[in-house]
Amino acid sequence: MESTSFIERILRGAALSLIVIFFLFPIFWILLMSFQTNEEILRIPPSLFFTPTLSNYAALITGKLATVSGTLDIAFMKNLWNSVLLSTASVAIALALGVPAAYAFARFKFRLGEDIAFTLLSFRFAPPLLVLLPLSLYFQALGLTDTYVGLIWVYQLIALPLILWIVRGYFEDISPDIEHAYRVAGHSWGRTFLRIAIPLARPGIAAAGLLAFIFCWNNFVFALILASADKQPVTVGALAFVTASGIQYGQIAAAIVLSVTPTLALALYAQRYLVEGLSLGAVKG
Amino acid sequence: MSDKAKDFFEAFKAGKMSRRELMAGAGKLGLSAAAANFLLNGAATRALAADFNWKKFSGEKLHLLLNKHPYADAMIADLANFKTLTGMDVTYDIFPEDVYFDKVTAALSSKSSQYDAFMTGAYMTWTYGPAGWIEDLNQWIKDPAKTNPNYNWDDVLPGLRASTAWNGVPGGELGSADAKQWCIPWGFELNSITYNRKMYDKVGVKPANNLPELVETAAKLTKDLGGPYGIGVRGSRSWATIHPGFLSGYANYGQKDFTVSDGKLKAAMNTPESKDYHKLWVKMIQESGPKNWSTYTWYQVGTDLGAGASATIFDADILGYFMDGGDNKEKGNLGFHAFAANPAAKAPTPNVWIWSLAMNAASKQKDAAWYFMQWASSTEHDMFGARKMDFVNPVRQSVWKDDEFRNRIEKSYNGYLQQYEASSPGARIYFTAQPLFFDVTTQWAETLQKMVAKQVPVDEGLDQLAASIDKQLKDAGLG
Repeated sequence: MESTSFIERILRGAALSLIVIFFLFPIFWILLMSFQTNEEILRIPPSLFFTPTLSNYAALITGKLATVSGTLDIAFMKNLWNSVLLSTASVAIALALGVPAAYAFARFKFRLGEDIAFTLLSFRFAPPLLVLLPLSLYFQALGLTDTYVGLIWVYQLIALPLILWIVRGYFEDISPDIEHAYRVAGHSWGRTFLRIAIPLARPGIAAAGLLAFIFCWNNFVFALILASADKQPVTVGALAFVTASGIQYGQIAAAIVLSVTPTLALALYAQRYLVEGLSLGAVKG
Repeated sequence: MSDKAKDFFEAFKAGKMSRRELMAGAGKLGLSAAAANFLLNGAATRALAADFNWKKFSGEKLHLLLNKHPYADAMIADLANFKTLTGMDVTYDIFPEDVYFDKVTAALSSKSSQYDAFMTGAYMTWTYGPAGWIEDLNQWIKDPAKTNPNYNWDDVLPGLRASTAWNGVPGGELGSADAKQWCIPWGFELNSITYNRKMYDKVGVKPANNLPELVETAAKLTKDLGGPYGIGVRGSRSWATIHPGFLSGYANYGQKDFTVSDGKLKAAMNTPESKDYHKLWVKMIQESGPKNWSTYTWYQVGTDLGAGASATIFDADILGYFMDGGDNKEKGNLGFHAFAANPAAKAPTPNVWIWSLAMNAASKQKDAAWYFMQWASSTEHDMFGARKMDFVNPVRQSVWKDDEFRNRIEKSYNGYLQQYEASSPGARIYFTAQPLFFDVTTQWAETLQKMVAKQVPVDEGLDQLAASIDKQLKDAGLG
């Protein structure tokens, strides 16, 4: 094998470093901001040198935010918990419903099958604001306004089509011969699905679940309109630091760090599945 | 609370002892300053209870929709007194301002009875009122059976009472005899100059007395300070860019957004005087405004002033007030100055933003909701907020005469009272009330952006803006 020249390696290293700096610098800057006071953040010119403080994290965790106009109560940790609850429950339900449905769409041809699959996908086409007003009327009539159950139901508009269509593509890529062989040995469809199809599709299911989780986590408008303040996710809660008496940049940065951590940890843990699942599921042979 | 402590605070309310004696005595009774403040307003609340049956709706539960704002904080700090006074329970949802009006609009348009009362701005009621989403509050204000005899509605600044009342007719005069009172003024801001005294001293300039002077002063500050820019004003593509300093100056030149003839509206932004005003404004931003002016909202304008990145703002007086305190770098360095943009004008004409309280038409307990609204806008609560919290600017004339409040402001905010007194006589809403308010002002802001970016000359831009607005008015049956 021909080895690369020294200059080529240096150039490649420099190019890679530039790319990494370009993409990671904003995150690094936010991390630095989260350990600074507002006054230090707003220094002119900005500086990389400062006395680190944990006061921003302390304010978030204790729920007390000191502003020009006194101490405000903030519910950031409650918002964080709401995001965890809503996203986890929504993805769990979407997986329970979406994976068998995806398998059915991949393996069986039935009447109106494509139409139903497309209808589910079309949930992703509608702008959320368009459906929110009628939804809020229905929710009032059904008593679902301002309930976690109602929100988890609405979050299916985000999670279910995503899981169904990604996992369907993945099932279609797996040869049915393996399942047929298992069936010939006298096993039922259900057992074949659980023992053969799901283990083979696990990377695709993990990737779809992770993506759905991220999409649910980042949702803003559903809870805002359909629930009261105590059920708001972190995306709405983070805005509480933009107050009439000033923007609390340090607390916003700390809130971003805290709110990114769960999804980042999940993505790092499932990185192998994510790459494999998305690339295999997306390529049709 | 012991009877002794109670008597003590009642004695203060009755004028039998000074505030210093009260606080010293409270200390001897083992009460902290915070507890003393709470009890003090408790005494005011009990005084309120004397001539009115506040317990009529005891046991009922109200739900409020609030914006995260110092006014809401002041109300929450005093809310226990309302609960004691009425026996009602009050819960609330607080949302950040960025999303607050989306939440309000969704709740009202879906006819949800979830919220009984909510915070709003007067401009918003031009949409909510004609749509039937909120109540005309005259039916409560004018009913002595429902409003306590000490409420003193006339004590609320007349310009604010008028600015929150509209007859629903596009172009109809605010505060006219047939106007409906869509909301109750709660706290407000008017637009004036806040400037950095240290920077002004360094450069050797004085606050400008009119717009041509401001253009020159801001340019000199930008040039001589070597870093901070001269003047901060809002520039985002939003109605909020038009309503503060810009419209205050525009009105001072005698200019209007619309002319009204035979009930029909016609855009009036392209008069020769308006074009001259726009040219000055655009020049000021081009020469001395922030680099990314077109993204500037309340937050950026204020933050730059507080951080020493700008020398002047022509915006809400309370924005300067907030930036002169807290942990801002320029805390204590700011000065306040009333501003008449037109050299020929005799006095300032600041446009105002009024945080107000409105009643949801779908509420199932409107009378009880009115009990809360009249308490929250009472002299007693207004006084508490102005003295102890940041309930500034208060809407009641009696509060502006209160020595304790005045001393607090005079001591910590250089020139604020003088600015207020010179500005307030002309302070009111200078927009024409009409339902396309947000469309029109957003388009106006967009045109300003194009002018500042030199994408369109001022004369041509304003002619295009007026033509476009006239078409929209015609399409909507208003022009």
